[in-house]
Amino acid sequence: MPEILVALIPALPFLAALLIGGGAVTGWLDGERCEKTTGRIALGAAAISFFLALALLYLRSTGQAPEQMELGTWLTSGAYRIALNFRADAPGLALSLVGSYFSLLVARFSVNYMHREPGYHRFFALLSLFGGAMNLLALGGNATLTFMGWEIAGLCSYLLIAYAYDRDTASRNATRVFVTNRLGDAGFVLGIVLSFVWLGGIDWPVILDHAAHLTPVQATVVAGCFLLAAAAKSAQGPFAPWIARALEGPTPSSAFSYGAVMVHAGVFLLLRLEPLFEQSPPAMALLAALGLFTALYGFLCGLVQTDVKSALMFSTLGQVGLMFLACGLGWWTLATWHMAAHAVLRGYQFLSAPSLMHQTLGRRTRPVAPALAGQRALYAAALQRFWLEPFLDWLLVRPVQNLSRDLEAFDERAVNRLVGLPSPAVRALSSLAQWEEQRLGALQRAQHVGSAPGLFGRSTQTAAALLHVFEERWILHGVSHGWIGPGRRLGHLLNRLEQRLAQPRYAFTLVIILLLAAT
Amino acid sequence: MTPPHPHHPEPAADPRARLRRAIEHLDHVLPGQAPILNFVHHNTLHGFQHLPFETALEEAEKVTGIHAFWPEETFRRHFAAGRIAADELEATLDARAELDPDEILAMAGDTPITRREVLRISLLHGLEALTPAQLIWRIEEEGALRHVHPGVTQEPRTGRTSSPLPELWAACLDLFGLGEFRLHPEELLDLSQTQAETLSLRSRDGAATGVNQAMREHALARVEKDAADIGQGLSLGEWLRRLTGRDTLATVRPLLIRLGAAHLDEGLAAWNPPERDRGLWASFRALAARDANWLLAELPGAHETLAALPEDPLDAILAALERLGIPDLRREGYLARIALEIPGWSGQFNWRHHQPRYAANREAPADLADWLALRLTVDGLWLSELCRKTWALDARLDTLAAYFRANPCEYLARAAYHAGELPEYLATFARRLLADTHLQRASLESWRGLADLIWTWQHSTETGRGAHDGAWRIFVLAQHLGLSAADVQALGSTQGGRLLEVLDELSPTQRGMIWLSAYENHYRDAVFAALRENRGRGRWATRAARPEAQVIFCMDDREEAIRRHLEEHNPRIETLGAAGFFGVAMNWRGLDDAEVTPLCPVVVAPAHEVREIPRPGAEQTRLIHDRRRSLSGALNRLFHQEIRRNLFTSHLLIDALAPLVAPLLGLRTFLPLALERIARRIGERFTPAVPTQLALTAADDGQPATPEAPRLGLTDHEQADRVAGFLRNTGLTDGFAPLVVLAGHGSISRNNPHLAAYDCAACSGRHGGPNARAFAAMANRPEIRELLAQRGISIPQDTWFLGSEHNTCDEEILWYDLADLPASHRPAHAKLVVELDHARRWSAHERCRRLASAPRRPGLKQALRHIVGRAADFSQARPELGHATNAFAVVGRRSVTQGAFFDRRVFLISYDPTQDPDGKIVEGILLNVGPVGAGINLEYYFSTVNNERFGCGSKTPHNVTGLFGVMEGASSDLRTGLPRQMAEIHEAMRLQLVVEQTEEVLGAIYRRQPAIQELVGNAWLHLSAIHPETGELSVFAPGTGFVPWHGKPHTLREVEKSPDWYAGHSEPLPPVLIRQPDLLLTRDTSSPPLEKGGRGDFSGDPTRQGLKIPPNPPLRKGGTGDVLYA
Repeated sequence: MPEILVALIPALPFLAALLIGGGAVTGWLDGERCEKTTGRIALGAAAISFFLALALLYLRSTGQAPEQMELGTWLTSGAYRIALNFRADAPGLALSLVGSYFSLLVARFSVNYMHREPGYHRFFALLSLFGGAMNLLALGGNATLTFMGWEIAGLCSYLLIAYAYDRDTASRNATRVFVTNRLGDAGFVLGIVLSFVWLGGIDWPVILDHAAHLTPVQATVVAGCFLLAAAAKSAQGPFAPWIARALEGPTPSSAFSYGAVMVHAGVFLLLRLEPLFEQSPPAMALLAALGLFTALYGFLCGLVQTDVKSALMFSTLGQVGLMFLACGLGWWTLATWHMAAHAVLRGYQFLSAPSLMHQTLGRRTRPVAPALAGQRALYAAALQRFWLEPFLDWLLVRPVQNLSRDLEAFDERAVNRLVGLPSPAVRALSSLAQWEEQRLGALQRAQHVGSAPGLFGRSTQTAAALLHVFEERWILHGVSHGWIGPGRRLGHLLNRLEQRLAQPRYAFTLVIILLLAAT
Repeated sequence: MTPPHPHHPEPAADPRARLRRAIEHLDHVLPGQAPILNFVHHNTLHGFQHLPFETALEEAEKVTGIHAFWPEETFRRHFAAGRIAADELEATLDARAELDPDEILAMAGDTPITRREVLRISLLHGLEALTPAQLIWRIEEEGALRHVHPGVTQEPRTGRTSSPLPELWAACLDLFGLGEFRLHPEELLDLSQTQAETLSLRSRDGAATGVNQAMREHALARVEKDAADIGQGLSLGEWLRRLTGRDTLATVRPLLIRLGAAHLDEGLAAWNPPERDRGLWASFRALAARDANWLLAELPGAHETLAALPEDPLDAILAALERLGIPDLRREGYLARIALEIPGWSGQFNWRHHQPRYAANREAPADLADWLALRLTVDGLWLSELCRKTWALDARLDTLAAYFRANPCEYLARAAYHAGELPEYLATFARRLLADTHLQRASLESWRGLADLIWTWQHSTETGRGAHDGAWRIFVLAQHLGLSAADVQALGSTQGGRLLEVLDELSPTQRGMIWLSAYENHYRDAVFAALRENRGRGRWATRAARPEAQVIFCMDDREEAIRRHLEEHNPRIETLGAAGFFGVAMNWRGLDDAEVTPLCPVVVAPAHEVREIPRPGAEQTRLIHDRRRSLSGALNRLFHQEIRRNLFTSHLLIDALAPLVAPLLGLRTFLPLALERIARRIGERFTPAVPTQLALTAADDGQPATPEAPRLGLTDHEQADRVAGFLRNTGLTDGFAPLVVLAGHGSISRNNPHLAAYDCAACSGRHGGPNARAFAAMANRPEIRELLAQRGISIPQDTWFLGSEHNTCDEEILWYDLADLPASHRPAHAKLVVELDHARRWSAHERCRRLASAPRRPGLKQALRHIVGRAADFSQARPELGHATNAFAVVGRRSVTQGAFFDRRVFLISYDPTQDPDGKIVEGILLNVGPVGAGINLEYYFSTVNNERFGCGSKTPHNVTGLFGVMEGASSDLRTGLPRQMAEIHEAMRLQLVVEQTEEVLGAIYRRQPAIQELVGNAWLHLSAIHPETGELSVFAPGTGFVPWHGKPHTLREVEKSPDWYAGHSEPLPPVLIRQPDLLLTRDTSSPPLEKGGRGDFSGDPTRQGLKIPPNPPLRKGGTGDVLYA
């Protein structure tokens, strides 16, 4: 019984998302007149889901429900079996409660706030989907289910940031956020694979119970993978810049995803993996360092922010950083409480952000201490967010982009030809100019056919034709596409090749290749 | 700035002085919006106000690229809905004499085709040229050759049978020699012999040169044209974006905004930039060397440029312009261009620059020159990076132009590709070539090849009149005109071409004007008909009988409903309207205020300060009040600022507060009203209210008070001046009721950055309550009454003035200084409170009809609950609808408008023409009301017609910035104007100002007042006169003068009460007459005698007067049963 109840917590919002999304696609839900229906579906699902989460809390606290609940098998393939199971431990319950509470509040808030927005139905479908995903993430009984929730939440956040996809900044930022988050996902997937291989299963109890049997190196590697995932999701350390780009969506979605719920998913993952991390002091140290760094980063950047949402966002980063720090120091309970408390409070602040200036009655934020105020270099760094993003661009993004462009050109110019793919049709296009050229040539041919009687005439004609070819090939075209250029171009080509090989990305690639060959 | 050599003022020769002047000049084109807490409605195109409306909108479109009319589809929708009649549209066409509507353009058989006919069809059905792709869509997907064009009503002309559409289409194609027309550009992959020959002939434009030559010439001409446009329609960055697809502005903007916002911030950030007090440029110079952005972005020359930043921003601008190679003459234009690329932020710098006394300027002086210098400098770095990378050139206009002159094929191809105009097969080619450029492999030859192909493609469709712009439009026109294929053939290419010319004859602005005028006239005629019908019905043309009470509201259109309902409920109450500062311009300092707030129209600088002080004996309460207030302020700060600002202490606070906040958030979301009430009760208990009064009266020291040396309080004479002036303005100089209430107004809602935009525009976007209170306090003083009597206004001693404030959002009414109300007036007041309570319920009821989420057909109680709940709900993006649908203003006695339903669309300004034969009073009123009304109306107009560009878009992604504005997301332009939620139901039309005065008097005022000439003569608002005696209406036509209005005979319905008319309707409603009660006011003898005596010394009890109070409004049929009458 409790397992059906716990399954319904994520299932209901998913169902609502399906209904609204399907309705919007088929045209059943369309325009302003259907806003009420959409709102009711989303609100109803969120409300039931929240009360079920409360019921689950009650059942757990009275001992009427086990921590791990199994509903059935999701899929099997040989020895590989993924169960459809759920886990209601303290961090899971906390995140699920907060998540479904905010689902409910934000849905209610958005009924008025999003009234008459184009994309009203899309918004509610995403909101429901997101609510379901957070609950699945929190309550999933094995790493794969959690990962599903993790991914769906990421997808929703992408679609919500790009809610006004007609605005360039919004869609560009959404893509950037999405791509950054995929790096963390790689860590998560690797973590799952390693758990399967080294721990013999991916159910959370298996991972947690068997963690003690891992060698320190193994434990550090597995923990490191999950830490990568958690850091990306919670915008820690080098991943911090993405979250500042996530503020393009409507206020309620910013509140839900970044203020209240999703940004805490990373912390949640750490909390759930407590026994695993306890096995690996290096991972703990890394965790603490990452947390401390992000906390200071968020704090300093937060001091210079001049718009409400960014200010709240950096403040959130600081607090989530403290949660990482607490985990790294082994203060797990504190981190759990802080996570839930912070979600609620920050969510409130985000939702009421539009009226900040009226609430503060025009009183300014307390200025920083004079000693800090005088630090110009530090101010420049904080204002430019410690150049984290341009730095990463310089270090990773641009070299990768250039590399991919070179590879594409290489594909087209060398590989395609080698494997015999047809060259693109454009080369065979005709333009007026070409046609005119031909026509002029044809005219000349027509002339010599008609006016060449006798041997003398013929020889003159042949000579003229030869001369014409010579002229045409060697002189007229020579300058641009005949025979004069190739030697020079070959030289250029070699020069460029050399330059290119000297560039860091190639040197880097070569090093990698050598390393791979060596291992 | 003073010129350095006062004896030889040669500003033209000094580039810095010229630059400074150019920057000052930008004030005309930049948005003039104040910081959002001081939001005051103003004409969005204020900088163009010296021009006639139509010209101004055209000019503005040239400069900003924003079309300032509704899209034609919107007008067509209104046409379909009957809001514009066909004859009204034709009348506006005919009014444009320059069009010669009767000219015969062509003959179809023996029936002529006139210009009027063609223009009408073009207005009603569009007939714009299509793109080739759209034409394919129309023909292949929408079956344009199978179905008649939608909206065709015209039967085939007499004597001719309609021909099948394909035949007609063929005839149209023939008209343009397009016999061998191909729909799909891909078919050009292989040119047939004939095709190529036709194309080649066409593409050479008849010249004898080769195709390639012609293409090169065309490309060169385009290079020249675009290069010449830099500094007018284009910035260098925008030009390069069109050629490379890389938007440098998108990269630069976040950086600029970070710096600019940090400078302008008014208290959000805890840490401010260094050297802030010396301006943005100084602050940037202090930071630039410490910024690693330039390094990481690998900007060429950044180090040198930043190391040599001049100290003066003007020098920096000059240097940057020099670096970009912008010629001398185009600099001014270039500055305007780049300023307008980020209009909101530029406008904010400009506003602060022009308001040196603005408080935030003390800490961070703002100068537009700083902002432009920063912009140009940073821009230049990225532009040069882009140019270096793409062409290995400097980012200089001259260098780039020279390069493109040498490589016109590349130019043509790039421009066509990045404009997105190429078909897929060419776009693929171009993309490949561009990728090659990056590897420096693309040669001259390949660019030439591509340019040739593009040229071929373009000339297959575009030379002369092609199928999509020529044949298609004639095809549709022929259907609307009912022409057959034979008719079209008979037209021949000359007449066909002529028809096309006429279709294009009207500029977008002219078309917009024609539509707008027709739309305005439709509504004007309805209103005028109502005014004409209502003549002689309205009460209070004279005050033969003493009103039971007089309530003076703000002129605000939102007060029309509550006034109407109050009068319907008790016809013995007179209501008046006036600019909501009630003639008392003052710096106000409330009990809890740290600083003064000017409460008066923005153009007035107050010379007096009025303070709210505790009443004698309230000192103890004040002490507690202050202590508690500072405590709750600290808590507030803790929650809204400290938790956000700090790191470790926030941790503790968050952990501690969360259990409290969680249920609170739930309540706030689900039960906002309950929470609001509880919070208010706790607040009142915790911070006791202090009984206060005003420190109003100052001793006369013989010095005049000025804005520079303001006086604390007003002298007796100053007070008498204000009271007398106001009473004369409103015409309230006799027939004073026992109770005269002044009702200021304001609006309070929960989660609304644009709060000030809902407040009183006559009080600089603040609440007008204190003005009402101050006026009442002055008018009640016996000394002032004495002075007034000397000036000919005798106020009976039993008349008592009361100040109050109406909250237009939740309809609450606050009363001031009730403690001073004489006991004798208390019953009258109690009765009035009940009646006002009734009126505000009906006002709420009426508002519900336009709110989508309000209950349809609500009961009174339900309606008020909805309205109050809305105001308390922090999720509500539309707490109230503001001035939406405002459309006209009436300056005159209440009798002109009273008795008709005007749907909350009218500003009502009380004025009695019988007391103002020479028009001196109305002159003052017009000077005051004209700009305020036009400001509100025009801001709404522009924010409605193009909300994305003139308004600030939807509220949902708004992000409050620096406590002075909103952005979308975290790095957008500062958004100015009204949010979509405020303007969405507005009907965009210019204000119709109707004045009850003779044409002669108004004409004379017009002739002597330049301000009126500007507004009225340039048609930013329409002026009409309603004759005080005859009631004849006449309309002022600029250039002509007053023209009598003869509307169609129009019999208006009469309804019992206004709810009978509006209930159940959510759309805008035309005026209607409301049954006037049969009141024989002259029989009223129960009014208190006007005899001398002490204050309040009278015996009449106003609640038991001799006359019957008319029955309560009837219960509506089908009501929900909870209709409550107070």
